[in-house]
Amino acid sequence: MRGVAVKLAVFGALAAFILLPLVQTFLLSFMSTLPRDGMVEGEWTLINYRNIMADPDLTGSIINSLIYVSLNVALCIGAGLPAAYALARNRFVGDRHFLFLLLAFRVTPPVVLSLPIFILFANVGLVNTPVGIALVHCLFNLPIAIWILESFISAVPKEFDETAFIDGHSLPSFMLRQLIPAIAPGIGVAAFFCFIFSWVEVVFARILTVTAGKPITMAINALFGFQTDIGLVMAMTVVSLLPGVGMIWFVRKHIARGFVMRA
Amino acid sequence: MKAYRNDAWLLMLPAAAVMAFVGVIPLVAVFNYALHDIFSLQDVHWVGVEWYEEIVTSSRFHGSLARSLLFSAVVLLVQVPLGVGLALLLRGTGRWAVGVLMLVALPLVVPWNMIGMMWLGLINPETGIAGQALVAAGIGFDWKFTALHTWILLVVMDTWHWIGLVVILAYAGLSGISPDYYRAAAIDGASRVAVFRFIELPKIAGPLGIVLLLRFVDSFMIYTEAFAINAGGPDMATHFLAIDLGEEIKGFSYGSAAARSMVYFLIVITVVWAFVRISGLSRQEDAA
Repeated sequence: MRGVAVKLAVFGALAAFILLPLVQTFLLSFMSTLPRDGMVEGEWTLINYRNIMADPDLTGSIINSLIYVSLNVALCIGAGLPAAYALARNRFVGDRHFLFLLLAFRVTPPVVLSLPIFILFANVGLVNTPVGIALVHCLFNLPIAIWILESFISAVPKEFDETAFIDGHSLPSFMLRQLIPAIAPGIGVAAFFCFIFSWVEVVFARILTVTAGKPITMAINALFGFQTDIGLVMAMTVVSLLPGVGMIWFVRKHIARGFVMRA
Repeated sequence: MKAYRNDAWLLMLPAAAVMAFVGVIPLVAVFNYALHDIFSLQDVHWVGVEWYEEIVTSSRFHGSLARSLLFSAVVLLVQVPLGVGLALLLRGTGRWAVGVLMLVALPLVVPWNMIGMMWLGLINPETGIAGQALVAAGIGFDWKFTALHTWILLVVMDTWHWIGLVVILAYAGLSGISPDYYRAAAIDGASRVAVFRFIELPKIAGPLGIVLLLRFVDSFMIYTEAFAINAGGPDMATHFLAIDLGEEIKGFSYGSAAARSMVYFLIVITVVWAFVRISGLSRQEDAA
């Protein structure tokens, strides 16, 4: 019984620690934090959320973020799946060097590459568009997608492929009709991590949106000014958390095994 | 046994093309800028390795390097034991484990520029929950002007942000251990320490290596969160490597910023290389 009590105490403290900043944000988002007619400061209200809906800059930024994050997930899975299949099933010249390169770029801090990426993307017209951000986020998301998919494909026995090829599947048809259904959880987990890392990234998202296509993170930054409406900022923060929370719920069964590179 | 065939590269082409465009080309460009003095993109002069000399001999760089190393060391010493401990406690709690894992994953989905702001709101002495509690307890927490307090805030905030990653990966390693091992250990009368040392540690060593690498690199190059809290202050006390670089880019001194980027990249790549050698990642590949 003492063991149970210790565990309850530890996880209770952990829950308090994790939830405290979130609760604070949540509470403030339902308060009026600026002097307004007919309202006391600190009054409970939905006005912050109504203000978000009424401001096309804010709603637009939510849509911008959703567009580039979805594009990035599609790119990472689309380019990552064939590569992961190649790495899981074959050995070839430079395969280990490629894996090392992926690891190196995964951990390269964005701020190191931000300057040339801005110049390069400006030259090819990829600034201020969601496509540019979706592409640049592949720098750290494509390696993750390849690792996760590779570990899931490796868990499928090789006979599975051979049977399909004997049945007359071509490689593309095998991938679409057999492999993807077989590793669907892996694709879900890879998509989860790509979505999250793209959603929370700020450095690239800031430098690549000079005048238009601002993501939700930059829209929140822009709310700070001479008289900042903290309630509105917190309401936007709550909105920015919703997709991530939804994704956590979506992959809760896999969350413990997805990120293991070579388990 | 994997088949050896070089035409597998055809399947790698899309991924390789994307990585070349967003990774290799910018890296080559940084290397090139670092050898030039850039007044504007039209007015460029060759300076060779002068930027590098200036950076690696400057006391400002040494100071930032020492602060970043100290921050990474503190972060790893706090988060790794804490995360592994939580994962060990979590083992065998059945359905509860999923709930706790979801809970600790929550901070991972917060946009990085919001994290500093949420914590500043929390410790605000007038409106914040923690700030009011500190005032009520009579503890003066002056993160703005007391270096130690800024450091405490940064470490606590970073732990809040990333503890989930450590717990999730350590738990993933632990959940792969068959109950037979624990039964055998119980029959042998093995101590708790021995069980951890000889059964659990080998099993979580792989995921833990990844945790160490990711946490080291991310804390070593912390930028957004640290800048949001105190912009490197008070009096440079939290002026880390990435904040130096950010300032140079904002100040348009591109040549110097590029050389600095290369220095940081070399440090990071050396750590990654050492990690791959030590963890035996490449040897496992051979065995596979």
